[in-house]
Amino acid sequence: MTVINRTWDRLTLPGKIVFTVVPILLALLIGLVAVIAILGAPIVNVLADNLPIVRFVVAATIVLLMTIPTAFLVGYMELKCIALMNLRIGPDRVGPFGSLMSVVHGLKMLMKEDFTPTGADRIVFTWAPIVVYLASVMTLLVIPFGPGLFGQDLNLGLLYFFGIGGLSVVGMLMAGWASFNKYSLLGGMRAAAQVISYEIPLTLSVVGLILLAGTMSLNQIVLDQSGWFTGWYIWRQPLGALIFFIAATAEANRTPFDLTEADSEIVAGYATEYSGMRFGFFYFAEFVNVFIIAALMVTLFLGGWNAPFPWPWPITLNLDPGGLGIELLILVAVVPLLLTLVFAAPFWIASSRIKGWQALIGGFVLANLFLVGLVATAAYISLDWVAGVFWFMTKTYVFVFILVWMRGTLPRVRVDQLMDFAWKWLLPASLLNLFVTAAAIVVVKG
Amino acid sequence: MSLIPGLGIVSGMAVTLRRFFEPKVTVRYPEVRLDPPHKFRGRLQLLYDEWGTLKCETCFQCAQACPIECIDMGGLDTRGRYHVHWGAPETYGERREESALRRSGRTVPDPANRPFAPIDLGAVDAVLEDFDHDPAHMLEILEATQAAYGYLPVAALKRISNRTGAWYAMIYGTASYYRHLRFDPPGATAQDAAVDAHRPTEATYLAAFETALGGSGSATKPRTQA
Repeated sequence: MTVINRTWDRLTLPGKIVFTVVPILLALLIGLVAVIAILGAPIVNVLADNLPIVRFVVAATIVLLMTIPTAFLVGYMELKCIALMNLRIGPDRVGPFGSLMSVVHGLKMLMKEDFTPTGADRIVFTWAPIVVYLASVMTLLVIPFGPGLFGQDLNLGLLYFFGIGGLSVVGMLMAGWASFNKYSLLGGMRAAAQVISYEIPLTLSVVGLILLAGTMSLNQIVLDQSGWFTGWYIWRQPLGALIFFIAATAEANRTPFDLTEADSEIVAGYATEYSGMRFGFFYFAEFVNVFIIAALMVTLFLGGWNAPFPWPWPITLNLDPGGLGIELLILVAVVPLLLTLVFAAPFWIASSRIKGWQALIGGFVLANLFLVGLVATAAYISLDWVAGVFWFMTKTYVFVFILVWMRGTLPRVRVDQLMDFAWKWLLPASLLNLFVTAAAIVVVKG
Repeated sequence: MSLIPGLGIVSGMAVTLRRFFEPKVTVRYPEVRLDPPHKFRGRLQLLYDEWGTLKCETCFQCAQACPIECIDMGGLDTRGRYHVHWGAPETYGERREESALRRSGRTVPDPANRPFAPIDLGAVDAVLEDFDHDPAHMLEILEATQAAYGYLPVAALKRISNRTGAWYAMIYGTASYYRHLRFDPPGATAQDAAVDAHRPTEATYLAAFETALGGSGSATKPRTQA
C-alpha cells in the first residue's frame, strides 16, 4: 500500500489525471458494452439513421488514436536508424531491441513538471501545442489508407490538406508569443517565416499534378494511378515530386531544414519555455508530420495504396470456415497443438543439448509465426483493404526511413540559404513545372 | 563532382547507408567489459593492509617517479615522528603565478625546458655515414660521437635517433649504461674529479685500518682500484 501511495505522490498533476481518467474510461467502456448488449436494436437504428456522422466520429477517433503508435514507431526509427548510421547501437534496454523506448519517452513526458512561466498568457500557452498537434492530425482525415479507408473523401482534399497543414504556423506563433520570452517569440517568427515560405513551392509543385489528374480528391488521385507502377504520377511529374519532397521536408521542419527547433544549436526555438506533456505534443506533432508528409508523397506520386503491379493471375480463396460445422472447433483445438509439436520436432532432433521444454517453446513460437503468416496471407489475398493498407504502409515507411536517413546524413542549412533556396530555386522551378505541364496538356489534348 | 547538383548529397547518403550495415563500435558496458589498456593505472589510491594500517611508507618514490610531477604528498613518516613533504611549499606560489599567467592568456615559462645548445652536427653525420645509419651498431656510433665531441651532446643524440630510427630513450639508456660514455663536457667531469680528490677514498680508510689493527696479514691487502 505504501508503495502505491509513494508512487501516487510522485506523479505530477497530469500524471494523476491520466491515471485517474484511464480507469474511469475503461469502466465507462465496459458499461457502454453492457448497455449496447441490452439496448442493442434501438441504438443501432439511431446510428444507422446518422451514418455520415457516425462514420466521421469513428474516423476521427481512429485517426487520433493511430497517431500514438505512429509517433512511437517514427520516434523509435529515428533513434535506432540514426544510431546505426553513427555506428552506435542505439536504444537496446527497454523491450526487444529497445522498441519500447518511445513508450518510456512518453511516460517520462507525463511525469515531468508541466511548467508555465510567470507572465505567460496561460490560455494561449496551453492551446498552442494542441493547435500544432491537431493541425497535423486533422490532415490525416483525408488521406486514403486503403480502398474505402479514409476519413472523408473531400473533393477538395488536397486544398483541405494544405489549409489545415498551414494552421500549424498559427500554433507555432501562439507558442512563441504566449511564452513571454523574446527568444521564444524570435523562434516562432523564424518558424513562421520558414513554413510560410515553403508553403508556396509546396502548393505550386502539386498544381501540375492537379492539372493532370483533373481532381483534388486524394482518393480519386490514388484510383487514377492503379495498375502498373508505370502509371504513377512520379513518372509524369518528376520535378514536381522532387520539389514537393524538398518543400514538404522543410514544411515538417525536418533536417536539413529543421531550423525551427535545431536541437543542437538553438534552444528549441518557439518551444523553449515548454516542458512536460505540452512540449510532448510539439514532439508528437513533429513525428506525426514525418508520417504525414511521407503518406502524402506516396498518395500523390507513388500510387497510394495501389500495389506496384497487378497480380498476373487472379487468386480467389474459397474459404468457408462456417461450412465445417463442429469440425471447425476440433480443428481450432487440435491444429495449434499439432503444429507446435511439428515445429518442435526439428529442435528436438537437431541437438541433444536442447531440452524438451526449450524445443516446445521454440516450436510454439514458430507455429504461432506460421499461423499468423498464414492468416495474414489469406487476409491479403481475400481482403483488398488489407492489401491496400499493406502497400500504403510499406511505401510510407520507406519514405519515413528516407527522411530519417536524411536526418542522419545532411547538415543543417543556414537561415539565409534556406530562404534563398525557397525563393530563388524552388519557386521558379515549381512555376516552370506548372508551366511545362500546362503546355504539355494543351499540346497533347489539343 | 559539382557539375551535377545533388551528387554530393547522394554520395553522403551512400556513406551513411553503408555505415548502417557495418558492425557497431558500441560496447554494452555492464555486460561486456573491455580490458583496460596495458599501462593504465587508474585512479591513484593509497592502500590499507589487513590490519587497517596505511601501506604507504612515505618513501616519495611515487612522487619522484611521476613524470608530470602531479603527485604532491605530505604526512608523518613511518614512525610518526616527523612531518615529511614532497614538493617545496614555495612552489605553490609559483603555481599561482603560473595559473594567473595562463588565465591572462600569456605563455607560461617552463622551467623544466632546458634548451640544449646547438652544435655543429657535421661530425655526427659523418659518424652515422660511416656506420651506414645502422642502429645495430649503436655502441660504436656513440663511442665515435664521443670521440668527435669529447662527450655526448643532447643534440647529437637526437640527431642519431632521428637518422637511425632508434628511440631516443633507448639511445639514452645505452649511453647511460656504459661508464665510459658521458653526457657532460670533460670540463664538468674534471670538476667532479677535483671534488673526488678532496674526499677521503677507500685507500685512505684501509690504510687507517691497517695502522689501527697493527698490520695483520691478508685482510689488509691494498686494493688497486679505489
